[in-house]
Amino acid sequence: MNNENDVKVQVRNLTKHFGDLKVLEDVSFDIKKGEFVCIVGPTGCGKTTFLNLLTKLIEPTSGKILIDGEPADPEKHNLAFVFQEPSAFPWLTAEENIGFGLDIKKADEKYKKSQVDKIISLLGLEKFRKAYPHEMSVSMEQRVVIGRAFAMNPDLLLMDEPYGQMDIKVRYYLEDEVIKLWKEIGSTVLFITHNLEEAVYLAERVLVLSQKPATIKAEFKVDLPRPRSFSDPEFIRIRKEITDMIRWW
Amino acid sequence: MIEKKTAKDIIFSILPVVSIAFLFALWVYVSGKNPDFFPTPAMTIERLNDLIKFPVSRISVFGHIWASLQRVLIAFGIAIITGISLGLAMGWNKYVHAFLGPIFEILRPIPPIAWIPLVILWFGVGEFPKILLVFIGSFIPIVLNTFTGVKMVEPIYLNVGKVMKASTLLKLMHIVLPASVPAIFAGLKAALSSGWMVVVAAEMIASRSGVGFLITRGSESYDIALILCGMIIIGIVGAVLSVILTYVERWLCPWRAEQK
Amino acid sequence: MESRAKIKLSLKNISKSFYSRKETFEAINNVSIDVYDNEFLVLLGPGQCGKTVLLNIIAGLETPTQGEVKVEGQKNDGASSDVGLVFQKTAIFPWKTVIENVEFGPLAKGVPKSERRDKARYFIELVGLKGFENAYPHQLSGGMKQRVGIARAYCNDPEVLLMDEPFGALDAQTRYQMEDEVLRIWEKEKRTVIFVTNNIEEAVYLGDRIVLLSSCPAKVKEIYTPDLPRPRDYVDALFLELREKISNNTDLAL
Repeated sequence: MNNENDVKVQVRNLTKHFGDLKVLEDVSFDIKKGEFVCIVGPTGCGKTTFLNLLTKLIEPTSGKILIDGEPADPEKHNLAFVFQEPSAFPWLTAEENIGFGLDIKKADEKYKKSQVDKIISLLGLEKFRKAYPHEMSVSMEQRVVIGRAFAMNPDLLLMDEPYGQMDIKVRYYLEDEVIKLWKEIGSTVLFITHNLEEAVYLAERVLVLSQKPATIKAEFKVDLPRPRSFSDPEFIRIRKEITDMIRWW
Repeated sequence: MIEKKTAKDIIFSILPVVSIAFLFALWVYVSGKNPDFFPTPAMTIERLNDLIKFPVSRISVFGHIWASLQRVLIAFGIAIITGISLGLAMGWNKYVHAFLGPIFEILRPIPPIAWIPLVILWFGVGEFPKILLVFIGSFIPIVLNTFTGVKMVEPIYLNVGKVMKASTLLKLMHIVLPASVPAIFAGLKAALSSGWMVVVAAEMIASRSGVGFLITRGSESYDIALILCGMIIIGIVGAVLSVILTYVERWLCPWRAEQK
Repeated sequence: MESRAKIKLSLKNISKSFYSRKETFEAINNVSIDVYDNEFLVLLGPGQCGKTVLLNIIAGLETPTQGEVKVEGQKNDGASSDVGLVFQKTAIFPWKTVIENVEFGPLAKGVPKSERRDKARYFIELVGLKGFENAYPHQLSGGMKQRVGIARAYCNDPEVLLMDEPFGALDAQTRYQMEDEVLRIWEKEKRTVIFVTNNIEEAVYLGDRIVLLSSCPAKVKEIYTPDLPRPRDYVDALFLELREKISNNTDLAL
C-alpha cells in the first residue's frame, strides 16, 4: 500500500510511572508514513495514559516520541486527534468545522476550499454542509470530526475508539468510510480500540499491549484485501489469535 | 523539561503567600502613616488582647460572638426545616409551585438587609426581630435551591422508583432528597453567609450585643481598632461556619467521595 | 417446541407516536410479539428510537397510543404485575450502597428489613458481587455497576426481566465478559428476559430468538432463531453466517 519505506513516527522506550504505579514500561514501535496501525490491549492496560503521552498532554517518565526524526511537538508537527466523544465545535457549521484545522495552520484559501470540498464529497455530507452539530445525529457529528482531522493532512492522526457507542451497522459503515478517507488522503493513522474485530478490520498492522505495566506484547500483520469480511477464515484466524492473547474474561 | 515544571510549581505555591504578605505590608505602611485613622497591626492585636480580657458594654467578646451565633443558629435551624420541606413540595407538585412560585420570584430580588427597617419598626429591637431577619435571609435561598435540586433529579432515577412501584413518600425520601443534596447544600451555604451578613447588619443598627454591635460601639467611641477587631472576628466566625458546613456535607454524603 | 411453550407476555398491535406542536413523531408502528415463558428474547434494532420506547411501554413507564400488553393473558398497564428493568445508563442510586440498591424493590413493597436483606444478599452473590454489599457505586467499575442493576431487577421478583442495552456503555471486552455473565445468571435463575441491543454479534450470542426491528418507526422486520447450542462461539461458521444474514437485513441509521 505505501511505496515509501520511511518511518514517520518512532516511539522509543516510552515509560510512564505515577509514583509507584507503573503504567507503561519501555514501549517501542515504529509507524511508517501513510500506514494504518491499530493498537489494542486488555481493559485497563493504560490506554488513556498512552494516549495522553502521544497527544503531549503529559510528559513521559522516560523515553521519547519522534516524528520525522524530531521530538514530537504540537507547534511544529501537525497532530490530529479524534476522541470517543464527538468534539465538533457547536458554533461552527459542518464545513467550517472541517476547515478549522486548516484555518489554524493558516492554509491558503484555495487549498482549504478544495480540501473541504473533497472531504465533504467523500463523506457524502453535501446536504449538511451548512448544518450545525446540534442538528446532526451523533454518528454524523463524529464523521465531521473525523473529516476535520483528515482535512488537516496531519503528520499523525490519532483516533481513540471513535465509534464506541454506535450501533453495529453504523459502525461498519463508518469503518469503511475511514478507510476510504485514509486511502484518499494518505495520512499516517494510529487507531486505538478495545474492539479486536474492529482492529483486524481496519489495520495494516495490529500492536498488542499487555496488562499494566504495559509493553508491546506482539505485532500482527494484516495483509488481507479490502473490503474485509469478518467471516473470512484468515480474518477469523488473526482475530482469534489476538483474542486469545488478550483474553482476561 | 522536568526542571521547568518544578520551577512553575514553586511559583504557584508561593503566589498566595506573596499576595497576603503584600497586603500585610500595605497595611503596615498605610497605617504607619495614619495611625489615628487606621490602626497598625500591632495596635489591632493589642486591642484584640484587651477585648479578650475586658468586656464591652458588660459583655465579654465571647458573649458577643455567642449572642450573634445564637440568633443565626436558631433562625437557620427553622429555615432549614421549613425551607427544605417547602422546596421539596414546590419541586414535586406543580400546583404548589404554580401557587407559591410567583411569591418567591417577587421576594427573591429584595436583599434581606432591606427588610431591616420594616421588621424593626414592626417588632422592635429585641431578639425576635433579629431572628426573623436571619430567617428571611436564609429561608429564600434554601427554598429556591432545594426546588432546583428536585427539578434536576435525573428522570432515570424516578423511573426506577416508578417501575418498583414505590410510594410517593418513599420516592421523596429515598430518591428525590438524596439526589438533591448537592443543590440543597449549595442553598445552605448561600443561606448561611446571607444570614450571617443580615445578623451583623441588624446588630449594627439596633442591638446591645453581638459582633455587629462591637462595630457600632467602636464607631461611636472612635475606637477604630475595635471596628477592625470586630471585622476580623466576623470574618473568622463566618469562615468557620462555612467550613463546618462543608464537613457536614462530606459526612452526610459518603457516596460523593470521588470529589476529593 | 414453540407451540407447546407457554406465552408469558404478548404485545398486540403496539403503536406509539409522540405529538408536539410542530410535528408527530412515530416511534413504533404496529408491533406484535409473543414472548415465551423463560425465553431469552432479544430485540435488535438500529439507532436509538423505538426499542427503548417499546421496553418502557412493557414496563409501564409509557402508555401505547394503540395496542396493548398482556401478561399471562391478563391486560397489563404496568400497574398490576412486577417487572424488572435494567437500564442503559447506570441507574443505580449513587447515594445507596450495593445492598441498599438491590433491596429497593422489596423496600418499596414494605418487606421487613432482615427478610429483604437476605434476599438482596442472595442476588448480590448470584451476580458475582459477594463482598461488595457495602460498597458505593462510585467505587465500582462499569461492569460491576451493571451487575448491581441486574441484581436489583431480579430482587424485585419480576414476571419479566427487561434489559435496555445494559452493556452499551461498556468497552468491547468487558461487554464479552458481561454477556457470559448474564447468561450464567439467567441459567441459574431462569426468568423471561427481553434484552434490547443494537449489536448483532451480541444478539446472536445471547438470544433464543432475535426480533429484528426496523429503524423509526419501529416495525418487526423478521424473527430469527439461532439454532446454536450454548456456549456459543463468536467465530463459529454458523454463528457468522447468521450474523451476516441479519446484518444484510438491518437498516442503516446514520
